[in-house]
Amino acid sequence: MERLQSSVVRTPPNSTVVQRRSKSYRQSYRSCLGAPSRLGLTPGLTARRLNSSRRALKSHVITVSHTNPSLTIFYVLLNLQRETLNGHVFYPVLFLLKEKVNPEHLALLVKTEWRLSYVTPLHQFRHTQLKRYSRQLSAFIAAEKQQGVAMEVEGSQSGFRVSFSVVQGLAATDDDAETVLIQIYSTPVFARQDEPQKSVWSGWLTCINGNPEYLESLPKGFTCLPLFGGSGAEVLTSLVKSWFQRTFDCCFGPLEINHTSLQWLAALWTNCHTESNLQHLKMIWTLPVVPPLQVTYTVNPQDAWELWMSVRKDRLERTEEEAEAGSIDIEEVVRFVQGLKSHFYRHFRLDLSAGNLNQVSTTLGSAKSSGKIKISNSRYMITTLTLLTECALLKMPI
Amino acid sequence: MAASINLSDSERSSPNDQSVSSRSSNRSLRVAEKERRKNEAEDPFVLALKYFSDVEAGTPLYGNDDFERNLVLVEKVAYSRGLPPEAISIMLEFAMSLRMGSAPCVRVLKCLIPASVVPQEAVVRAVVWLGVGKIPINTQILFIKWVLTVFDMIDAKDQLRAIYGFIFSYVTEENLCPFICHLLYLLTRKESVRVFRVRKLLELQSKLGRQPFLLHLLSLYKVFCPELVTLSIPSRMRSGFRNHISPWKSALIAVQKRNGPQVASSMSLAFTTMDKTSSRKRKHCHLQIPALRPVVNKEAPADQSSSRKVVPLVQIHSFAQLLENMHRIELPAQMGSLLGSSLALQYLDCVQDESALLRLNFWLGYTLHEEFLFCGDGGATQNSEEALQFLNKLLSAHHFLQEGFSSSEAFLYKFLNFWDGSLLRPQILGLLSNIPVVPSSQIGRLLFEPLMQLFFTSSLFFKCGLMECLNNMLLKWLTWHSVYALEDDLDISLNSHTSINMTLSGFKDSVMELVRFVGRLASVGLQIEGCHSLFLSFVLDFYETVCDTFLKYGLPLVVMPPSGVFYPALLATDPISVDRLAYIMHRYKVNLTSAKAQEKQTKQAFHISRQTFHEFNHYVVVMVSCLWNSKMFQPGLGIQLGEELLLKSNVPQYWASFDLIHHPAFMSYAVDFHQKCWPGKKDMDLSSIKHSKPWSWYLEYLFTQGYDGLKQFVQSNISRQLTAGDGQGDTQQR
Repeated sequence: MERLQSSVVRTPPNSTVVQRRSKSYRQSYRSCLGAPSRLGLTPGLTARRLNSSRRALKSHVITVSHTNPSLTIFYVLLNLQRETLNGHVFYPVLFLLKEKVNPEHLALLVKTEWRLSYVTPLHQFRHTQLKRYSRQLSAFIAAEKQQGVAMEVEGSQSGFRVSFSVVQGLAATDDDAETVLIQIYSTPVFARQDEPQKSVWSGWLTCINGNPEYLESLPKGFTCLPLFGGSGAEVLTSLVKSWFQRTFDCCFGPLEINHTSLQWLAALWTNCHTESNLQHLKMIWTLPVVPPLQVTYTVNPQDAWELWMSVRKDRLERTEEEAEAGSIDIEEVVRFVQGLKSHFYRHFRLDLSAGNLNQVSTTLGSAKSSGKIKISNSRYMITTLTLLTECALLKMPI
Repeated sequence: MAASINLSDSERSSPNDQSVSSRSSNRSLRVAEKERRKNEAEDPFVLALKYFSDVEAGTPLYGNDDFERNLVLVEKVAYSRGLPPEAISIMLEFAMSLRMGSAPCVRVLKCLIPASVVPQEAVVRAVVWLGVGKIPINTQILFIKWVLTVFDMIDAKDQLRAIYGFIFSYVTEENLCPFICHLLYLLTRKESVRVFRVRKLLELQSKLGRQPFLLHLLSLYKVFCPELVTLSIPSRMRSGFRNHISPWKSALIAVQKRNGPQVASSMSLAFTTMDKTSSRKRKHCHLQIPALRPVVNKEAPADQSSSRKVVPLVQIHSFAQLLENMHRIELPAQMGSLLGSSLALQYLDCVQDESALLRLNFWLGYTLHEEFLFCGDGGATQNSEEALQFLNKLLSAHHFLQEGFSSSEAFLYKFLNFWDGSLLRPQILGLLSNIPVVPSSQIGRLLFEPLMQLFFTSSLFFKCGLMECLNNMLLKWLTWHSVYALEDDLDISLNSHTSINMTLSGFKDSVMELVRFVGRLASVGLQIEGCHSLFLSFVLDFYETVCDTFLKYGLPLVVMPPSGVFYPALLATDPISVDRLAYIMHRYKVNLTSAKAQEKQTKQAFHISRQTFHEFNHYVVVMVSCLWNSKMFQPGLGIQLGEELLLKSNVPQYWASFDLIHHPAFMSYAVDFHQKCWPGKKDMDLSSIKHSKPWSWYLEYLFTQGYDGLKQFVQSNISRQLTAGDGQGDTQQR
């Protein structure tokens, strides 16, 4: 243990997960933090953020030389609970989208409310086989919709048409698998002959700035696209999920956006106010009283911005690297939210710390604790998806 | 009719069957009588068969006494003993060729009860006749039903499979279709599934609607070629084809009974079971073990073109098949499905593919997390019945494989922090006992801290359960050690699936930590529970494992119990605990002696510390002076009390109050012995047993009561000097 700790030189204890790749299949024990706070874990557990670029990340990698790889894994597991709020946590504020992203695809991703899930790594998923997957999934949906009627896979199907496509250029690092977009079209029941098929469901699987240690630890044959968002009829969502489960031997679980992540998003969006107007910062809190109390707290964007600026760390305090990455510190987020809370307390004598943040919305986007998110401005797409990818990876069972 | 008919008790199943069977048994009685008479003459059965094989086409049927007589003969034989293969061939050929018209067809078909096997050629010829002759449709159906009934008795299937296409062409016959589909289902192999056949069936489906027989055949096609066809079977649909045994049932049973069990074994009926999908809708369905399904997206075509043909696991139905195809089994689409069948578990044991195991662990970890950790609305308590079954299944898989899955291990480390100690206790403790060796530097935080909290806040039964669990854990660790320890470099792989190696000293440290932890738990637990004898018994179980680590498992490690365990056992009120303690001390001695001998012999110091010897000797001295020498409370021994305090207690001869006579556990034996020894004596003087002769009798008496531990302890530690006369022993100190 001594050795482990002493090797953590100037490294924020929570910046990276230490994993030694063993031949075994037990790569990581990190996911204990994904448990909801009812289980006694502090809500701030998912506050660990990864750094922005791989270059910067390298300096944060804790190198451990130990004979037993599982030791380091255990070490990580045990230390996670402590490394919540007291360490430096860096968060890249802004990733600008690379130009090559197809604007049509991008348009599909913004302004839709997505219901999120986490997905365990896909087995034998090939980005080159998307056409085939389209056919299989449409046949599967047709067969499931009409229980007890067999469907030919290769034949032309009426009813549902599925299209799989790659959203090129969304991936931020080389380790990230390219985002996959799925759309389901259907012919309306009383359609005219020439009427085009209507999109009835869409969804995507993505991995943006996924923890490289985790991604590299997966053996060949696995594709990690841990974040899934779906929008459309619930029936279709579950059909798509079960097709993925059967085809790529993966599992889908609901991904909530916890208290801390919502605070992050609030700070993140506020930070962008100068670039694009927030119009409002609206937060919904629930307080555990009888009868349950819901507080909708709307802040003038200029006021929020000024508060945010006041809690920002002095630029001089920052190391060069941090300033370069334009990072946000978790302490700043905590101070920001604390400021908002004490303001509220001054006026209404109600301490919001007793409650839970359930929803945050601005014109840049909105997020609900139930795991629904809408990103309204494509500029902040990558940033938000990075955060969500991280949340999803924290839920991985191993 | 139910899909599965149990032949043995179907005779009393319904009144309808009853009448049929009694009729047939009457008939068979008559037949048997005549048969005996006939056996004396030359065999008329052979003559009858000759008649049917030679009879010319167009022979009139009506008023044909020869025909009638011969057919009755054949029927008699058929219904009593069953027909031999050649007779089946002849009669089937006779019937299907319509040599005497279609009228006798049904009658002949009904008496085709095979005695042993059905020759394949006969069936193939008959199928061909199906295409040639003008057999009435009902007879055709009867024939197919007959083939389905005797399918398992057909001696080979290769030629039938060769005419798969020919048989397939009959699916267009609307009346035959259900039966043909069933027959095809039994004959289908991967090669038979072709695009045009799939299309034909789909076309039929659009014409006939969703018919179970089409769906069953198509679902088999899907198993073989999921890339060609897809469907989902509605949950309320009955699984499997119905069987068509009814026209032959009673006769088959009769023949089967008569011919004995060797035919009965081959009489497994030709119906198939399909994976049952539970119809119940649940909110949380993650506890369901996925069904075995073949992979849809096969690997690169280069792989297929090579000579290596793979067999999907779904197609394996018996252990023999598994062995035969072991080298070319294709893993299912979802690895989690392997947990669902015992046969698949057999295969899982041999799976070396790392990513396959990773898939399994992802699924299992996900399931456990979602059900017990992430489920916000108390999912585990909500459907504890399902959780129970799931964990039981997981446990039995663990037991079968003799090791735990790493994802369940990782899950347990988290879950122990949230567990209330009562939810699904036996299952959780069972899983816990399967975790592999934890490095000693981590064992405290991962295991001991949460377990300690649970232990001290839970009931006696939890304490006992945990003690048993830790004992099992230790046993498994020691067994791993003895199995996987490599002699040269002292490295052990802890788990056949993981290659995490651990040095011997690391392993010893972990074991030591565990034993010491249990020692602490046991000491405090005994105190809290007032030395409850049930708990003490579990503690002694644990130390029975610990005392034998060197001899039984070859681990050069001896850890003595703490005094918090030793004294409660020594002073226990039940003789069994004292006896077990004596046994444990005896085993310690045997282990230590042989360790020392080996050390001397091999000059290889594996160093059992002086401290251990010291502790052992101390305990032995205490035991001997307490039980044997009546020198309790002497200075220098473990238990010391102030002189005045002892005098104040007014116990006469307090130093002898824990010897084998006055020990609360053995007092009743001493009294009993006293009464038997001196039946006349009015006043009881237990101290008189102390004299040399009665003392050795008393010991004999105790040993005959089954206290073997005590016996071994006495024999190995006390050399009695009978000449000394006062029964004083002498401890052997080392």
